[in-house]
Amino acid sequence: MMLSRAAESLYWMARYLERAENTARLINATQQLLLDLPPGAYFGWEGLTRIVGLDRLFQQNYATPDEASVVEFLLTSPRNPGSIQSCVRFARENCRVMRDVLPRDLWERVNSLFHASKRYSQPGLTRKDRRQMLQELIYDRQSVTGVLATCMSHDVAWQFIGLGEHIERADMTTRILDIQSAVLLPQQQQQQGGSDPAPALLWVGVLNSLSALQMYRRHAASAGSGDGGITGDSVLHYLICDAHFPRSVAFCLDALETHLAELPHNPDPLRALHGAQRRTDRATSEDLGPAQRHDFLDAIQGDLAHIHDAIASEYFHLHQRETALGVAV
Amino acid sequence: MKFGSEDYQPHDVFDELVDAEGRPRPAARALCDYLATLDAGEMRLRRQAVDAAIITMGISFTTYNDGQNIDRAWPFDPIPRVMPESEWRRIDAGLRQRLTALNLFIDDLYNAQKIIKDGVFPAELLAGSRNFRKQCRGISPRFGVWANICGTDLVRDRDGTVYVLEDNLRVPSGVSYMLENRMLMKSAFPEVFGASRILPVDGYTAALYDMLAALSPRVDERPVIVLLTPGIFNSAYFEHSYLAQQTGAQLVQGEDLLVGSDDVVYMKTIAGLRRVDVIYRRIDDDFLDPEAFRSDSALGVPGLMRAWAKGNVAIANAPGAGVADDKVVYTYVPKIIKYYLDQDPILPNVPSYQCNDPQQRDFVLANLDKLVVKPANESGGYGLLIGPRATDSERAACAEHVRADPRSWMAQPMLMLSTAPTWAGDAIAPRHLDMRPFILQSRGMYVTTGGLTRVAMREGSLVVNSSQGGGSKDTWIVGGA
Repeated sequence: MMLSRAAESLYWMARYLERAENTARLINATQQLLLDLPPGAYFGWEGLTRIVGLDRLFQQNYATPDEASVVEFLLTSPRNPGSIQSCVRFARENCRVMRDVLPRDLWERVNSLFHASKRYSQPGLTRKDRRQMLQELIYDRQSVTGVLATCMSHDVAWQFIGLGEHIERADMTTRILDIQSAVLLPQQQQQQGGSDPAPALLWVGVLNSLSALQMYRRHAASAGSGDGGITGDSVLHYLICDAHFPRSVAFCLDALETHLAELPHNPDPLRALHGAQRRTDRATSEDLGPAQRHDFLDAIQGDLAHIHDAIASEYFHLHQRETALGVAV
Repeated sequence: MKFGSEDYQPHDVFDELVDAEGRPRPAARALCDYLATLDAGEMRLRRQAVDAAIITMGISFTTYNDGQNIDRAWPFDPIPRVMPESEWRRIDAGLRQRLTALNLFIDDLYNAQKIIKDGVFPAELLAGSRNFRKQCRGISPRFGVWANICGTDLVRDRDGTVYVLEDNLRVPSGVSYMLENRMLMKSAFPEVFGASRILPVDGYTAALYDMLAALSPRVDERPVIVLLTPGIFNSAYFEHSYLAQQTGAQLVQGEDLLVGSDDVVYMKTIAGLRRVDVIYRRIDDDFLDPEAFRSDSALGVPGLMRAWAKGNVAIANAPGAGVADDKVVYTYVPKIIKYYLDQDPILPNVPSYQCNDPQQRDFVLANLDKLVVKPANESGGYGLLIGPRATDSERAACAEHVRADPRSWMAQPMLMLSTAPTWAGDAIAPRHLDMRPFILQSRGMYVTTGGLTRVAMREGSLVVNSSQGGGSKDTWIVGGA
């Protein structure tokens, strides 16, 4: 018997943990990219806030979209509910109220994640310090994942953690892929690069940020399609449609399906899920091409929002729903 | 560590472990012999092991340093308090007698009020009671029991007499610490358990489950039991979550429950609404149901009283049970026992003065420097005046309160609470303590073996409440002694 409130807490705990990890990946990827950009290329930091869907909130709080402001906004700002510090704090609060359900080790891990995240507010951090700390956050987060995978019964509570984790991961993967939209190259290079304005090094950065480069190489080598090189279309195809890489959208959607299958009253969430799967299954080269890829990524994000809404109204907002239907109440 | 030597000497009080000459009492001999083999360094190591275990077991968390200290640390003293089984058996019988009578009294107050008609309990006292709930008139819960869970505080005076200090009949807490303290002792001092026959305490959670299950209004079905907590900001949240885990009850907050138009309580689960049969509530009457009590309460469940009055759900303790948890009502308990059971009380009350009686009030006001003055309705050691230790202005302020509202005050002579050896810094020193056994009652009755021993960690302090800097000890009822 799982309380709606408990299910919601577990789901959000998982989402916030996953979001913290992926925001760290996003910041690190951006920073690497900056070092590699060719002369004359322009990277708009404000683009990063748009990628995570928080550009309006950013503009309300900061005058100039420079590196220091954007990084603070994403890393530590208490006014940004999506900043890494906020995410870790929310994850910890949700973990705390669910301590009777979660393995003991988990609380300790999440608690130490929280204490580590407080260091981000230290003054005078260099880019190198920051990169190091974010890398540590990713490792700590992976040990949380390990506890959940190996020390917790894969029961109903665990399914909700899985739902939160995979929906957030799929969403953040599409956002990290969209980083290309924040890069503007000088006219001449755009022509050299053919129809794709983003250079290969950008896609290497994207793959690296998702720890996907090695897996991509193996996949490309065995898939035998194309020349095995790194192009926008092939990276997008891999990170959206590959069934085996755990951070790809298709993989996350399959995981969501597995988790939902274990839950009662799942037809509505499954319907929303199948809609998202249809879109990724039928992705065309036009969808993934430079002209349409931003809109395509947006559409996937919209699908994920639908899945979230279906899960929330089926499992979390029971009270309102049953009142509306006049059941028992 | 030697007892009766310069190392440990009780100061003109009853000590639970050693007698007036400093010799270990018979039931504590094995323990004292064992402690004598530990030097200060060894003791410190054991203590560190205990502290580490407390953190691992998650009993308390003080890591919250962002201004929201939710869980308070509960200091644990590793030297147990010992009582011989023969003495405990008499206390156990006294508690059963007392709670039987108290529940008959509460049921009577909400129904026929025979005790008032017979002139044993004054009607004006009931009229002035803040904890009497008019909404409960005419209701009789299952088995006629209102206080299903009671924590009764016992103290021992200088001459060795054990008195009842008060009965906590609303939402008594602390039982989880009693259970965890025993776990800690077993892990830190396993060898000493072999030397004495220490009676186990861990039957409590099974007895709690049985007591709650017996209250279910649906007799032929497996009952759905929930523990209703105000949430993680409550200082007893650790205990709520612990007891929920141990009994298999679902830990819920008010927002997880609703009352349907059929006056049945449901909880909101991912699979829909599930009927709730029994609510072990850990929130006060005032907050239970905004429709019936405080309308600004966000902790409770609208309509809960309706569902309860119709008999569709059991609530433990029953709303209104607190009417007997009142320090002025307390002074009548010996008469209550006599009235309902026609027995003399096995456990004495602390002699008490009722300030609503003019003669007794005058005596209290004339002897404020010798008495402890207590408010009738507060708990947790707040608003208390310890006359001999108070300043003149504190006494004057207290006299003012008593004159203004005599019904709300009572007074007792100052007891010199017994002590037991307690680890204080780098040495063992006597510290004052009390004991809170827990009594369960529904179809049958259950009394914990011993109870929670609370200890005032500060030298000379007589206030043992956890909210006032108290700690706790394991409590050993030693068989064959």
